Amino acid sequence: MSEKCSILFIQKKCIQCHGCEVACKSWRNVEIGVNWRRVNISWHGGYPDIKMVPVMVACLHCAKPACVAACPTGAIEKRAADGVVLVNQEKCIGCKVCLEACPYSVPQFGADGKMQKCDRCFQETDGRCSVPPCVATCPTKALQLVSQDKNVYLSFTYCDQSLEK
Amino acid sequence: MNFNNRDTHSRVSGLTLDEALNLAKTNGEQVVPTLCAMCGPTSLSCGVYAFVKNDRFIKVAGMQESSNNKGAVCPKGNAAPQWVYSPDRLKYPMKRVGKKGEGKFKRISWDEAVGIIADTLKRQKEKYGPESLAILAPAMRSYNAYLKRFLTVHGSPNYGHSGICALQRAFSFMYTLADWPIAEIDKSDLVIYWGRQPVFSGPALDGPKALLRLKERGGKIIAIKPSVEPDVCKADIWVPIRPGTDAALALAMLYVVINEELIDKEFVENWCFGYEQLKKHIQKYPPQWAEKITGVSANQICEVARLYSSTQRASIDLGNGVEHAPSANDAIRAVAILIAITGHLDRPGGNVFRSTDSIMPMPRDITLRERYTPEMRDKLVGPEFPKEFQPFIEGFSSAYYRIFDSILTEDPYPVRTVIAPGTQPVVSTRGSRRIIEALQKLDFYVVIDVTRTADMDYADIVIPTTTPYESDHPFEATGGRVMVRNKVIEPLGDYKSIYQFFLDLGVKMGYGKDFWNGSIEKAMDDQLQPFGMNFADLKNNPTGIIYDSLTRAYENYEKMFQRKSPRLSGAPFLPHGKIEIYNTSFEEAGFNPLPEWREPPESLTGTPDLSEKYPLILSDYHTSKNYTASWERNVPYLREIEPYPVIHIHPDTAAEREIKENDWVIVESLHGWMKVKAKLYPGIRPDTVMILHGWWQGCKEMGLEDFPLLDGGANVNMMYSVDPKKAFDPIITAMTSQTLVEVRKFS
Repeated sequence: MSEKCSILFIQKKCIQCHGCEVACKSWRNVEIGVNWRRVNISWHGGYPDIKMVPVMVACLHCAKPACVAACPTGAIEKRAADGVVLVNQEKCIGCKVCLEACPYSVPQFGADGKMQKCDRCFQETDGRCSVPPCVATCPTKALQLVSQDKNVYLSFTYCDQSLEK
Repeated sequence: MNFNNRDTHSRVSGLTLDEALNLAKTNGEQVVPTLCAMCGPTSLSCGVYAFVKNDRFIKVAGMQESSNNKGAVCPKGNAAPQWVYSPDRLKYPMKRVGKKGEGKFKRISWDEAVGIIADTLKRQKEKYGPESLAILAPAMRSYNAYLKRFLTVHGSPNYGHSGICALQRAFSFMYTLADWPIAEIDKSDLVIYWGRQPVFSGPALDGPKALLRLKERGGKIIAIKPSVEPDVCKADIWVPIRPGTDAALALAMLYVVINEELIDKEFVENWCFGYEQLKKHIQKYPPQWAEKITGVSANQICEVARLYSSTQRASIDLGNGVEHAPSANDAIRAVAILIAITGHLDRPGGNVFRSTDSIMPMPRDITLRERYTPEMRDKLVGPEFPKEFQPFIEGFSSAYYRIFDSILTEDPYPVRTVIAPGTQPVVSTRGSRRIIEALQKLDFYVVIDVTRTADMDYADIVIPTTTPYESDHPFEATGGRVMVRNKVIEPLGDYKSIYQFFLDLGVKMGYGKDFWNGSIEKAMDDQLQPFGMNFADLKNNPTGIIYDSLTRAYENYEKMFQRKSPRLSGAPFLPHGKIEIYNTSFEEAGFNPLPEWREPPESLTGTPDLSEKYPLILSDYHTSKNYTASWERNVPYLREIEPYPVIHIHPDTAAEREIKENDWVIVESLHGWMKVKAKLYPGIRPDTVMILHGWWQGCKEMGLEDFPLLDGGANVNMMYSVDPKKAFDPIITAMTSQTLVEVRKFS
């Protein structure tokens, strides 16, 4: 369980079907109104020379997570073994400082007021997944699970089209 | 669990049966291999693994072994459990006790419900004739054959096909080229996606993957549609056409290729009938003329026509978008002619004839077509295609809307019973106002569905049915795969499957012999005969059986052009054994032999006076990423993606009206008004606004209420003209879905 992996998003393969969003919610029982993974769109250019580009918003499990640094109670940790950024629900006080710190607006808050987000589905308790369901469900392999050991640069890069080989 | 191979660049989507079984075991769950049902049960349904915990269906994963989705699942498929357990599910049969439209019902038993329907049909058959029954066709569903069988045994030809989907393209292509040829995308260097949504119509199927493969190979993509959708992001050229003007564009493209002689002369000489007549006729339609109508510049029309005709391996994927205009037949056959005369028919990378692609046999046809008679044809209440061209490939059909119109006009006679199995007339066809009037007047209305429907309150009897996840039949065969729909959970209410319903009704009517005496197993065995196995045998293959594929041959003109049509006479599609550029069959039936332009009932160029009050064009999207037609708004995980009905409006158009993002706006046409939210959409023609069709249903879990079905709601179908003289294509029905509107801020 200690191998380091990343979920890589390859923008040009994404067809904006939103399958990953719902697979994530269904497998992890994510409450209504909370999204651990979102496909947004951004517009480039102007009519009629215009493109609509998908943007994936989900926790990147950053090398140096701003949320970890910002958290006043030390509830967020970057686990050394596999690089996953985890939230300790006991310690979280729901102050939302992490949301302000995160450059991608990833942190989500549900009915219990505590921070929740993608944990890369490497949970070792009940309700396990195989590969993360968002990756498994993707029709075009726009989401891929990649090993950090094989390509360290690649694993920490988000949404870089040049990496697709 | 397979955690060993984390580097999954090459990993396919989904799980294998072993992986699914192991995973379920680890989590204390059961797994059932089955087929998804969120696009309605169809033979194309995706293979999935359904996971069950404590007798509850909790989640799905894609089935890697499945030949069509290869392990992928779209958002709808992933949200299936919420659909199955929705508070909107119908739990038991009901009889209306209040007034029509009031929504007061009483619970009755399944047997009583079937009995009431049978008694009514028997009485009406005796009094008004069997044609007084019409059954509406839902989208392409696995149970359609049962509806047709029931009608034929009863003696009615009134199968109510939409008149706006798929058969329209099939008809115009087949009476021009003898086939509806498909784009061979994997061998094309250029693909034109024309009025087509290759992503949302089957995201987990091969359509989007084929588009990406084309892109990766360096192929060119042209997208023709009024607004930017995901396929347009991948396109090299976007042709932002005005809704409903595809015929004008196609005619102008013919003008370019004919006058610049960008044609395959040998093919035209050998295989086309009437080219010279077209050459003369087409001079009316230069690109400068089309520019005014389509809003596409003459330069771009020439560019696309030249690029297509000069690329040897080029294909056109013509979508449902062209089937919603009174000029639809001419748009489609103009495209068919374009494909043919430029040498792109049945050649590698072009548009190739549909042929059997695997060695898999076809299930036995159970629609009893052999019992069709000319008398039945003559009784069609509102033929979808003129009687001279009936039956067509799906059998006899009356246009869905015309069935309701007959109730009001009594011309040629009023239909007395309408059965709506998995379809919602008020939101599925145009003219919602007339549909509601007709439902008020109709003698007997039966709604069959898994959840409550938009017009259920008008039903005399409501029959709930299983979702396919609660049923162990039927089997589905397509694309070289045959597989049983395995039962995931026991039925949640007092109901049976829709297949069993028609068997039970058949038996109650006294048609038992034709309905396998009510036995589903016997019905399945009968259809499986060509496979050399029975239903029990097939069930022993939980992930189905995959058959080898066949390689295709090209230029199969000689044989194809002799192909017989499904008309009772069996006359060939092409009377001259050649492509009907000049269509003598249409001419004999009193229609124009050559394709021509016809304005929609309301348009900027056709009704300029009206455009002073209503300056914007309105049309609607037929498919969406997260809903199937007018269903599934009740599913929270899907509703979250698009919670409100939104009108796509260009930011400049919005600014002129002081409309901001998310403002509630009124969209008003001659025929009605909607209240929806504004979505500022830079990727849409500034003279056009568009909305997804099918909005009516609320979502209880999210506290979202139903919308009104008419004015003040979001049902785009009430916004269009249903003028019998202007709103329909004269041959293929193809009801208009464009009009003129004004949009203003709601206050």
